[in-house]
Amino acid sequence: MITTPDLIESLVADAKPVRRLRPPAARAALWLLFALAIVSLLAVSHGLRPDLGARLGQPLFVTGLAASLLTGALAAVAAFIVSLPDRSRLWLLLPAPALALWVSTIGYGCLTGWVGIRPDSVTLGEAADCFATLVFTSVPLWLAMLLMLRHVALLRSATAAVAASLAVAAIASTALALFHDLDASVMTLMWNLGTAALLVGLGSAFWERMFSWVAPR
Amino acid sequence: MSSSSRGPDLTLVAEAAPSSATPPRSGQERPAARELDWSVYMARAQGGDRDAYRRLLEDVTPHLRSIAARHFRNSGDIEDTVQEVLLTVHAVRHTYDPARPFGPWLVAIANRRVVDGLRRQGRSRAREVVLEAGHETFAAPQANLAEAASDGRVLRNAVDQLPPGQRDAIRMLKLKEMSLKEAAAASGMTVAALKVATHRALKNLRKIFGRQGGKT
Repeated sequence: MITTPDLIESLVADAKPVRRLRPPAARAALWLLFALAIVSLLAVSHGLRPDLGARLGQPLFVTGLAASLLTGALAAVAAFIVSLPDRSRLWLLLPAPALALWVSTIGYGCLTGWVGIRPDSVTLGEAADCFATLVFTSVPLWLAMLLMLRHVALLRSATAAVAASLAVAAIASTALALFHDLDASVMTLMWNLGTAALLVGLGSAFWERMFSWVAPR
Repeated sequence: MSSSSRGPDLTLVAEAAPSSATPPRSGQERPAARELDWSVYMARAQGGDRDAYRRLLEDVTPHLRSIAARHFRNSGDIEDTVQEVLLTVHAVRHTYDPARPFGPWLVAIANRRVVDGLRRQGRSRAREVVLEAGHETFAAPQANLAEAASDGRVLRNAVDQLPPGQRDAIRMLKLKEMSLKEAAAASGMTVAALKVATHRALKNLRKIFGRQGGKT
């Protein structure tokens, strides 16, 4: 085993200048800018949902959209904050109010729109299209998050994973609401909350493994 | 927390700007000043100043050791943890913001590595048994027959205490495993007399061992 003074000498020999991380809010803004670029690209290639103009006049839809966007933004900020070693873990609660609002708008939409559900309201093709949107938004956002948080592998990876996954899930869900008319039905609940839970679960489960690939120790 | 309590006082906030010249090092520095030094050293180390970095790592090592010593008893485990913390500090040194106090940053990293160490220890304790000197032995069967050998000696002593006729009968029939006919030919006793002698001998032996068992 190497002795501690020898270890210090080898670390000192390896002490190249490093660039400090930018403040968490700035890094979150950078990530959100990237998310905006992804969603814009998708809007150009896929086209927004046809009834978006009409839906934007409905308070419930607007509130839900704003809440999911806010959840994504706040969760991203929280992820970059808790990734630093000396910050409190309570920052994880930052997106909680927005998350609560988002979930309650989905629930409310489900309750009021329950009557309107028809079994054929969602076709298989449409569901596959939704899934494609989900993959095209969440995968690049995930990779960006992983790269920006690669130092966390040595620190609090589980806490950061929850926040990062929530950010990705919320942004992906916002994109879904912009591109597909699945809301006001039980499908919304399934898509939004289901995918959010799936992403958070998958993210937390494979986070460490993905790190070994992005940032080998 | 006073500086005389156990463990390093690492919770103080560096308030002054880290622009002043490096104060002289002495063991009696106030913790706040010491922590300010560390903050300055780390800021310089981030810029590639190796002397500052060496000084920082050498300065924090005793504190890391005292943190590790609160959780581990084995000096090897303590040193392992200290080295893991130093390696982590090196790997994530770009996450330190010199505008913030250095102590909490360092302690947070140290705690992570301590927790990792405790988990590792828990896992190895659950699956491994420490091999002590008493467990060491040789593979040859003779090395492991100490008990059997002492049992044999006790039996021979007991047989020696028997009356001569019974002793001979036991030796021939049980220890040498002769047949009744062979024993009769060798001793000149009849088969019936040998049987009776063996029976009485076993009864006496049982009595002798019963007495010894009662004593111990």
